[in-house]
Amino acid sequence: MKDLIEFIVKALVENPDKISVTETQGETVSIIEVRVAETDMGKVIGKEGKIANAIRTIAKAAGGKEQKRVNVEFMAKEAV
Amino acid sequence: MKKIKIKGKSVEEAKGHGLKILGLKEEDVDLAIITEGKPGVLGMFGGEECEVEIRQKISAAADAKEILQEILNRLALVAVAEIVSEEENSVALDVKGEDLGKIIGKDGAMLSSLQLIVSSIISRDFSRKIYVNIDAGGYRSNHEQALCRLAKEAAKDVASSGIEKALPPMSAADRRIIHMALKEEEGVTTYSEGEREGRRLIITPKK
Repeated sequence: MKDLIEFIVKALVENPDKISVTETQGETVSIIEVRVAETDMGKVIGKEGKIANAIRTIAKAAGGKEQKRVNVEFMAKEAV
Repeated sequence: MKKIKIKGKSVEEAKGHGLKILGLKEEDVDLAIITEGKPGVLGMFGGEECEVEIRQKISAAADAKEILQEILNRLALVAVAEIVSEEENSVALDVKGEDLGKIIGKDGAMLSSLQLIVSSIISRDFSRKIYVNIDAGGYRSNHEQALCRLAKEAAKDVASSGIEKALPPMSAADRRIIHMALKEEEGVTTYSEGEREGRRLIITPKK
């Protein structure tokens, strides 16, 4: 799952080396946190959140097999 | 599209290193220099590295197909992406295989999502808007035909009655299909109104 989201997000952004994806597995829900460079937030969210929602739909399909809910959250990486 | 931004002491060095990482030959790529770099004192101190971007030469259709296939593989679906057609600003792909129901999703939601993601990636890769159409098991072509039938019938009503007609709220992609289908239709024009989920297409008599 993490691999899938990482592949998609990397291909969408201008700064693929600045992304990170973490997955936290709960019992019934799996939380995926996607961090990207601040300037890339628009690329992963899209107009009216369309791209973010498409990524969520695809993640849900990937999580379907394990019968788990999947939450995908997007945030800007703090400048280091 | 395989691509990489890479630094080196010289363009040649950066290029050689990048090609090795990508596993590509020189004739398979385009090279863009991002920063020229500066040689340092005695070629060692205070110099600036140059940075280049190496991009694989690939058609939009082949790139789209590759990306869709990578996503399908990562979803562990038994399915193969194929190129149906390629035009200047659009690419049509078809998916064949066993897990077509999953690929289509509820009311085609999965297909639409895949389509949006692949379109966004390709448009970024080629720095221009490229529409990617993805079908699986004829789902989209059936859906498109049904939309066109609905649109043509409504257009006929509007043309003969002279009263404009609103179609039910639809996605941007569906509205686009109808706009295109009725572009050549005599006696009517189309436009959309409303916001977000409520946005609908209106067929109106041509004055």
